[in-house]
Amino acid sequence: MLQYIVPATGLLFTLENILWINLGVFIGSVFAAIPGLSVILCVILFLPVTYSMTAIPGMMFLLGIYCAGGYGGSVSAILINTPGTPHAAATMLDGHPLSEKGRTKAALKIALYASTFGGVFSALMLLFLGPQVARVAAQLGTAEYFMVCVFGLTIIAGVSGKSMIKGLISACLGLLISCVGSDPMTSYDRFTFGISRLYLGLDLAVCLIGLFALVEIMAKAEKRLDRLNLDTTQIKDDGVITKAEYKRMARPVLLSSIIGVMVGIIPGTGASEASWFSYNTAKNMSKHPEEFGHGSVEGIAAAESANNAVTGATLIPLLTLGIPGDGTVAIMLSALMINGLNPGLSLFTTQGDIMYAIMLGLILVNIFMLLQGKFLTSLFAKVVSIPQEILTPIIVIFCFAGAYSVNENYFDVGVALIFGMLAWILRKLELPPVPILLGLVLGGMTETNFRRALLISNGSPKIFFSSVYCIIFLVLILLAVGAIVRGKMKERNAQKEE
Amino acid sequence: MKQWVEHFNGRMDAWGRKLHEKEIRIPIDLVTGLVFALFALMVLLVMPDQVAISEKDVVNGRAFPTLLMTVMLLCCAMLIGKEVYKLATKQPLNWKVINVQVEAKALAILGILLGTYFLSKWTGLFVVGAVFCCLGFLLYFRCRKKSYYSITLVIAVAIWAAFRFVLGVGF
Repeated sequence: MLQYIVPATGLLFTLENILWINLGVFIGSVFAAIPGLSVILCVILFLPVTYSMTAIPGMMFLLGIYCAGGYGGSVSAILINTPGTPHAAATMLDGHPLSEKGRTKAALKIALYASTFGGVFSALMLLFLGPQVARVAAQLGTAEYFMVCVFGLTIIAGVSGKSMIKGLISACLGLLISCVGSDPMTSYDRFTFGISRLYLGLDLAVCLIGLFALVEIMAKAEKRLDRLNLDTTQIKDDGVITKAEYKRMARPVLLSSIIGVMVGIIPGTGASEASWFSYNTAKNMSKHPEEFGHGSVEGIAAAESANNAVTGATLIPLLTLGIPGDGTVAIMLSALMINGLNPGLSLFTTQGDIMYAIMLGLILVNIFMLLQGKFLTSLFAKVVSIPQEILTPIIVIFCFAGAYSVNENYFDVGVALIFGMLAWILRKLELPPVPILLGLVLGGMTETNFRRALLISNGSPKIFFSSVYCIIFLVLILLAVGAIVRGKMKERNAQKEE
Repeated sequence: MKQWVEHFNGRMDAWGRKLHEKEIRIPIDLVTGLVFALFALMVLLVMPDQVAISEKDVVNGRAFPTLLMTVMLLCCAMLIGKEVYKLATKQPLNWKVINVQVEAKALAILGILLGTYFLSKWTGLFVVGAVFCCLGFLLYFRCRKKSYYSITLVIAVAIWAAFRFVLGVGF
């Protein structure tokens, strides 16, 4: 590990990287602070920008957006009682009441410090655990890799929507879309319908702009245009956090960071689950549980450290196995692969300097998030009330410009529009879009391993049950399906009882 | 002009109220199952035309899509089967209410998106589409603040300029 740290540090500390990190952190904080805009939308919009960059600045920019998104969501949650991102909902429970007590700045500071701690803790876990998991991953063959892909897809399909069956249909659709273009093994074209531009396949960024961004624009039809009026005078308190409060926060912050890392490693789970779980744990363990929901500093600290502790942990299965922990990270996988960085042990050995630069960069991202949070919070607070009339066309222009810039043609913009319409229909049919995203990202890897394994076994499917790892993953898949189905049934029964 | 705008808005409101009352109820799981079962069958049907293979291949390019469509068909069969069972045992189906007003508004937004796309494509100038997009959405939201129009238009041109001159995108 140490042999990579020194060259990685040299690669990381360049003016270009520092600028991209800061730009990413700024954009991520702003996007997450605005209710209705999500981190995933932000990463999709700016993914085409990274296509012309090399691996390190590209990943630093996207990681900046991703990590700052974890903190940015808390700004609107504290200020206007509306979480900027879903995972900031737990922060809102205590953040806004504390703000109403005239301690807005203190609430924002607690959220910022806890987020930074969670983020740095998670980055360190990635730095130490990543290479170890990669060593285990190196023992996996093609059949095992196929089972890993199925495992990731099954979990995400299961937890993404109300119905696991619908999630699986979405995943199949995503995998099928990834088949469009030339066959990865024979180069024959597939499902191109005579359109030569489809020979190279559909670009992930273009599909995602339609599936996640343009559909959100169409969804404006479902929502009322609410005015979010922010009283900026309310953030002019002294923002002092007492020693006793720091002491009270220490335990929930550490515990929630550990929970965040553990939750983040499991594919399909995410920051929302981590923050709610940590919030409840902190409440149960607190000496002052009665304060929770009324402006508890422990509540804010627990929720925020947990949702940022997920950021580095989700990268562990991504970088070692190629299995993204959540939708946003799945997009980052494509940014990695564009630069020829394929997940696995080789990433930590042959391209170790780049990989360690990215992992160390995650620590740097959190430090810049702290600095920007300290000095620019009042600016982030102001963007909370940017009117939708202004935001909506700007997002559309970004979507179109992003889709066009991928290959510099309007064909891609048309494809994005078609995917937007498809996503609208899927929304009406209550099919979750995240499994489609995962199918698109994992499609190539899943198919290649599936076919290679069958080639090795001369067409016999027994190969998928032949090794210990295959059996382990099969058992994990069955256990996960069982747990998801049980959970959904419990949810349904509880709804019926209500 | 002001009177005309008021009159137009009034008519749109009245039309919107009428549409708001109209709702379509669909048995969502049954429809999803049928739609995707048909889709999977269609894919399987066009596969021989769309996926060329070599006779020598042990595992050819059709294997994976066929597996996917088989899984999709199984999932659809489960969805349909579940709903048919509910029908047979007289249990309530899973219904989804689709509001016509929401769909009409979504179509209007789609119209703006398509307008932006075609204007940019036909003129070859992205900035023309961007300006249309801004005006289209501000009118859609019935924005009356002149400052919003100027702010949005300035930002639209700035985005175009950033992509054109900073990132070197040729539009």
